[in-house]
Amino acid sequence: MVGVFDNEFDLVKAFEKVKAKGVKVDEVYTPYPIHEILEGMGKKTRITHAAFFYGLFGALTVLGGMYYAAVISWPLNFGGKPFNTFPSFIVVTIVATILIVTITTLFTFSARAQIFPGKAAKIVHPGATDDKFVMVLKSGEAGFEAGEIEQILKDSGASEIIK
Amino acid sequence: MIDEKFVVPKKLKLISYGLIAIGIVTFAIGFLTDPGRAWSNYLLNNFYFVSIAVGASFFLSIQYISQAGWSAAFKRIPEAISAYLPFAAVFFILLVFGVHSLYEWSHPEEVASDRLIQHKSVYLNLPFFAVRIIIFFGLWILMTKWLRKVSLKEDAEGGMAHFHKSELLSKIFIFIVAVTFSAFSIDMLMSLQVHWFSTIFAAKMFISAFHHGAAVITLVVILLHRFGYLKVLNRSHLHDFTRYIFMLAIVWGYFTFAQFMLIWYGNIPEETSYYVHRWHGPFEILFFASIILNWFIPFLFLMPRSNSRSKLVMVPVIILLMIGQYVELYYEIWPATLHEAKFGLIEIGSWLGYAGLFILVLITYLAKASLIPKNHPYLEESVHHHF
Repeated sequence: MVGVFDNEFDLVKAFEKVKAKGVKVDEVYTPYPIHEILEGMGKKTRITHAAFFYGLFGALTVLGGMYYAAVISWPLNFGGKPFNTFPSFIVVTIVATILIVTITTLFTFSARAQIFPGKAAKIVHPGATDDKFVMVLKSGEAGFEAGEIEQILKDSGASEIIK
Repeated sequence: MIDEKFVVPKKLKLISYGLIAIGIVTFAIGFLTDPGRAWSNYLLNNFYFVSIAVGASFFLSIQYISQAGWSAAFKRIPEAISAYLPFAAVFFILLVFGVHSLYEWSHPEEVASDRLIQHKSVYLNLPFFAVRIIIFFGLWILMTKWLRKVSLKEDAEGGMAHFHKSELLSKIFIFIVAVTFSAFSIDMLMSLQVHWFSTIFAAKMFISAFHHGAAVITLVVILLHRFGYLKVLNRSHLHDFTRYIFMLAIVWGYFTFAQFMLIWYGNIPEETSYYVHRWHGPFEILFFASIILNWFIPFLFLMPRSNSRSKLVMVPVIILLMIGQYVELYYEIWPATLHEAKFGLIEIGSWLGYAGLFILVLITYLAKASLIPKNHPYLEESVHHHF
């Protein structure tokens, strides 16, 4: 069941009521982030931890690669500097680490969210990507009773309900 | 309307008087036994607390300019910290008597035999040095007192006019601080090794001031909350304070490393002399200690979201940052003036003396006005700040 709302307040009202009934809300689409929804959905992300370890891994790889090139594989004497010119490696390491973190995190996110280029878009309502506040409920959830939920959505001021 | 009035705790007042007494005794002993070392301590501690005061006033201006809502309830703390500036001005004017113990360019016989110092003496001479100190402090005191006056007027009268005026004053103030604090750090610290120069030095010292100023504001806010004031403080505010410290730790690391890396890579004797002195003997460990305390620890420990909202993590990090600022300034001054790492009771006692004065000024000015501003337009937003 999909409830379409015209404004934030009606959506939050309906959201709280549905939650109070003990029914799990599957997904909410809003034009901008809303605190109550973000917290109410109770979704946790581990992508920040993943990004941290990608960064650590990236930094060590880049440093190791440069060390290998400059010291082990092809040592060259630049102005009497030691082969391991560590301070000058750092700038490259920072920039390359940012690139590695960005790309690997993007791929991780895409894999977890199962999105890829060319995937057909699943749009629950044409307004969901525009100015409407859309709430999606799955009929299989525990405690889901179509009539009751529909009444809640209607009472909260839903402009459209798709069954 | 929240009405909170800070009452100066008698005990804390006595403690700060005690600390000031310790400082006076230490300086008396210091000037009698080893004037050179005493003057180095004098410069370090003055610069330390002026950095915090200027950094705090800059923090306040940024809040006005960015029209930040979250910090409105806490603006009395940076205001009270910047009230230290007039006291620092007196100390810095007295520094004129100590220039011969600190600055090579103040010795006429050195100047006579050194072409480089002669070349710089148009700027680095005692009368102009003294005039600059007066100009810098005059401007800082004028602007911070003016901001404070408008802020108190807002409490009494309300309305938007005072907020707009504060914003305008802040815009003027950040330009003044950018120029004057840069020149100030060049005068006070970079000219200690008169032959050396670094174009990024002033930026680095300015960021250091902002960094540690923000840290001290946060510490004062947390302590006030701990003792029953500022009840509006919640975890979202803490997170915002942490964001400042975290961001500034990164910028601090960036500037410090930028200065070091370019000098190290360029390897020109005029520039490397600075690091050569500081990379031999006891100072070498301080170079790394400064980076670890000021950048690495805040960067690593304040990164996770739960840590950046936890007083248990923030307070130790801030205390390490305050030590880090001491290490940083010690590392600037001692190799240039005393050429050896002396650390003992004189250093500790003199820091305690200044800390006592700083606390005394802070609590006196906190008690002078309502702890939470009354008619600030963003006050409601600040009280209900949540993300």
